[in-house]
Amino acid sequence: MPLSDLTRSRGGKIPIDDQIVRITSRLVVPFIQVYGIYVILNGHLSPGGSFSGGAIFGASLVLLALSFNLEAGARQIPHHAASLLESGGALGYALTGLVGVFVGSSYLANRIAGFPMGQPGELFSAGAILVITVFVGIKVASTIVTLFYYIIEGEK
Amino acid sequence: MFYILFAIFLIIVTLFLRLIIGVEPRTLVTLYLLGFIIFLLSFTVAEMPTFGSPDNPAFNEVPRRYLEQGVAETGAVNIVSSVIIDYRAFDTLGEATVLFVAIAAVIATLRSH
Repeated sequence: MPLSDLTRSRGGKIPIDDQIVRITSRLVVPFIQVYGIYVILNGHLSPGGSFSGGAIFGASLVLLALSFNLEAGARQIPHHAASLLESGGALGYALTGLVGVFVGSSYLANRIAGFPMGQPGELFSAGAILVITVFVGIKVASTIVTLFYYIIEGEK
Repeated sequence: MFYILFAIFLIIVTLFLRLIIGVEPRTLVTLYLLGFIIFLLSFTVAEMPTFGSPDNPAFNEVPRRYLEQGVAETGAVNIVSSVIIDYRAFDTLGEATVLFVAIAAVIATLRSH
């Protein structure tokens, strides 16, 4: 059954009103979020990165909204906060690139622009890569959440 | 010899489809065009270089540079990350822009209802 039918069948509320689902997702969601943050922060060390980590984090918020109801989920990330994070992620990426221009090398330069490179293999290394990964991760997560809420609320 | 046999085979198939099954001529033309496209595409796939072979045209000095100098130049152990966020960072910026435009379009469409 498509989600829209399920939504309509109980007056606009997400119908998964089940004790087991709620308890399980409440237990699982923190672990999913920690895993998403781990994938984002280790983007330059291990497989994964900003897009996959952001998708994992966004999915945890979608799971929260699905297993409780829309109001409880929307309280986690309000609309204006989501769009701020969304624009902030894209803007942060572009501004991180501008650092290279102001230092005197090319746009989106990394080592030449003087970002601290650290020891390869450590968490805080690779200069601009870590910064940009975090920005894109925030952007992807808020994109998924915003898309979900707007489509679900469009069904009401 | 092969081509003559193939032509005879095609004629027999055409007559069989047209006269015995009763397929429309328009459908027949469509079928033959589809068959021709399938032939061309599978011929192209058969001509493609072997996957993962070291003498592929894609394995030139560019990926060699990434593999040998990537860690020293970008500081990232993950070569994929060093390519998409350092060497090809401008491309990823465009990708993020596409995402941004997509979500803006969705919001603009859904809010108007």
